[in-house]
Amino acid sequence: MSAEELSSSASSSSDETLERDPSFKSAEGGGVDERLGSVRLEDEGDVEESRSDRVEDRGGEAVVESNGHGGDEGECGEESLVVETEVGDASGDLGSGVGGDGAVVERDAGEGDGDDGGDVPVLKTAEVVGSEVVGEGSRPGLEVGSEWRRNRTRSNSEIEMDDEQSPSSSGYAGERGSSNGAASSASDINEIVEDDEIREVGDVDGANGGIDSQSDWVPGKRHADEDDASISWRKRKKHFFILSNSGKPIYSRHGDEHKLAGFSATLQAIVSFVENGGDRLNLVRAGKHQVIFLVKGPIYLVCISCTEEPYESLKGQLELIYGQMILILTKSVNRCFERNAKFDMTPLLGGTDIVFSSLIHSFSWNPATFLHAYTCLPLAYATRQAAGAILQDVADSGVLFAILMCRHKVISLVGAQKASLHPDDMLLLANFVMSSESFRTSESFSPICLPRYNPMAFLYAYVNFLDADSYLMLLTTSSDAFYHLKDCRIRIETVLLKSNVLSEVQRSLLDGGMHVEDLPTDPSLKNRTLSPRVGHDSQGTFRESAAGIGGPSGLWHFIYRSIYLDQYVSSEFSSCLRSPRQQKRLYRAYQKLFASMHDKGIGPHKTQFRRDENYVLLCWVTPDFELYAAFDPLADKGQAIKTCNRVCQWVKDVENEIFLLGASPFSW
Amino acid sequence: MGCSSSLPDGSARRLSGMDQDSAVAPDAKNLRVKLVLLGDSGVGKSCIVLRFVRGQFDPTSKVTVGASFLSQTIALQDSTTVKFEIWDTAGQERYAALAPLYYRGAAVAVVVYDITSVDSFTKAQYWVKELQKHGSPDIVLALVGNKADLQENREVSVQDGLEYAEKNGMFFIETSAKTADNINQLFEEIAKRLPRPLTS
Repeated sequence: MSAEELSSSASSSSDETLERDPSFKSAEGGGVDERLGSVRLEDEGDVEESRSDRVEDRGGEAVVESNGHGGDEGECGEESLVVETEVGDASGDLGSGVGGDGAVVERDAGEGDGDDGGDVPVLKTAEVVGSEVVGEGSRPGLEVGSEWRRNRTRSNSEIEMDDEQSPSSSGYAGERGSSNGAASSASDINEIVEDDEIREVGDVDGANGGIDSQSDWVPGKRHADEDDASISWRKRKKHFFILSNSGKPIYSRHGDEHKLAGFSATLQAIVSFVENGGDRLNLVRAGKHQVIFLVKGPIYLVCISCTEEPYESLKGQLELIYGQMILILTKSVNRCFERNAKFDMTPLLGGTDIVFSSLIHSFSWNPATFLHAYTCLPLAYATRQAAGAILQDVADSGVLFAILMCRHKVISLVGAQKASLHPDDMLLLANFVMSSESFRTSESFSPICLPRYNPMAFLYAYVNFLDADSYLMLLTTSSDAFYHLKDCRIRIETVLLKSNVLSEVQRSLLDGGMHVEDLPTDPSLKNRTLSPRVGHDSQGTFRESAAGIGGPSGLWHFIYRSIYLDQYVSSEFSSCLRSPRQQKRLYRAYQKLFASMHDKGIGPHKTQFRRDENYVLLCWVTPDFELYAAFDPLADKGQAIKTCNRVCQWVKDVENEIFLLGASPFSW
Repeated sequence: MGCSSSLPDGSARRLSGMDQDSAVAPDAKNLRVKLVLLGDSGVGKSCIVLRFVRGQFDPTSKVTVGASFLSQTIALQDSTTVKFEIWDTAGQERYAALAPLYYRGAAVAVVVYDITSVDSFTKAQYWVKELQKHGSPDIVLALVGNKADLQENREVSVQDGLEYAEKNGMFFIETSAKTADNINQLFEEIAKRLPRPLTS
């Protein structure tokens, strides 16, 4: 870990830093530049956050479904449509092809930013995030050609209206739905709400989104009775679809895939229209909605969202959904489409709705979904070493990967020589195992594919839950290794019980990880190795008294991601972020921050400081680590910067306990 | 299904095989047999096993992934014990190509259908043919019509099940994992039909 210090004084900042982020220059000095910068930043933040406030806060209000389709059409009239494509030249064709000259075509990251450039002045880091808000509200480019957009949008909605009259007009009506009829609509996690006026009763989206309430989340298919003719379906905030390139539905987050045949065909038509022009469709913006497309050979993935998440994040989510599908079927499923273009893939995914819905749920509570890193359960160094040693022992006997996990956190993992496990694969594997109930009833032996390891072939996974939370996964390339793996498990379990690893795991679950209230107050205490909470519990009196105000200097929460280790550590939520809704909002804010810091078009950034009415967000990226921290909205900037330095020191001090060091397969 | 199960590379060392344990252990008094359950998804294979092994019935359907492994020992009247090592396979289509992995070397195959679904009976016949073609030559086959408690929804008559079983030299029984009807009988009958090692 680096010994770098985040400087709060202008003098020690490099010119580059100053240029990129003037707002960071100085806490006390407060030059004119900085003020301009931060004022602007705050304004945009306000715009954005008040929006999402409206969206979230009204979640529980009564439904006012005044004017169903009429309302839709009215809204469409005011909406604008921005088409972003990848290949430059053909985009003109697209524009004229669809009937207008006003299309705002965002060709590539760089070009697209050129468009934004018009109303984006100096403050680059801030603008990345801010521009999206500006873009949707008042981007000048959108004024031009609104006529075309209106037409275009209307024709779109006409298509949908047709579908309503004959939802299965394509003649496709499969019998073997993968829908799980057991979904209960009373306790669901709707992401309803398409426009501001209409809300559905009982939208407890936020209430179920938190990491602590995972158990409250009811798995399985939602609203299986809906289709694109249902008003409630059209008002869902976030849709995910998988379809084939012949337009056959494969998966839909909401509603019954088979009833969505017409809608899928429409999506397919849009994609192939653009592809026929030699171009590729990435993103369509329609007012508050973004439609994101991802083409993977014969498989199309589409997300329709009005959650204001950045394009990069939503695209990353589609990539994960595709990865989950590959994990279940391998990429060789493509051959089925080569043999028969009209191949119906839904039977092959039978019973896996729950896996996808659980993954989609994790997009709103699991930071691993956008950090592309995994996290470890905090454990005393010796405990983790003991677990690692026995896993290593087993790996030496021909097991490709031996992974011991507790819920979504790693206890220890070991890979055979030269084999490395991608964090995304771990996420998908853990999601698959955690969401499939049958793994809990007995030991299992199942083919799975790790998309980042080898998307074409199955591995075989021996899975066994050692207790309600901890489970062992042994992966091998050999299809008849079951009895060997079973013996390995017995050996591992014996050692883990003898060395009390499993009871330590349970204790760590109860104690939680890093609590911001425990942030060491004295920065001179350099050799501190243990917080009272990490590893060894003690209900500190300081913590009790600090309840309600978070950590020092108004620190509410942080995530620290180690680049080298591919791991992150996330603090426990302070009492200021108790409600799952707040937690989900914070994750979304982090996700946006992450996307803006990694935007290739405007280059890597080092720091970002944002203040809005919900919190102060501070992000710091170095070659070794990334730090994301949330503070009280009134937190002092200078103090916040100092606190971030202390957090980094703290993480470094306890890295033995919060990270898996050394034996990781990433170090081969 | 088009999914192959090739090995990604040769890095893995040889592992002990699944067939290494012979189908029937030589000790005449304490038999150990590998039993595999096959059938369409949702016919109740896991429920039959959980009823037999743990005496439980869980009405919420939990889709099996790959295959689950459970074991249960029963004592027969002639004071022999039989330990069933049960492979409860997933009924989903995507696992069909992998079934040989589980039924290879099995001494007993239990093919299950749902008496309220003709489709599942058709699927059962597919599995019987597959086993006759690729299973061990001396495999003991049982045909099981599950969900016998749902008489009012019956689509497959007892007669049809019985006739098909007799034609193919199978043992036939109708069971209900929900009410536990005939579950133990099923496994006891299988145990009786097992080929015994000569002499004792």
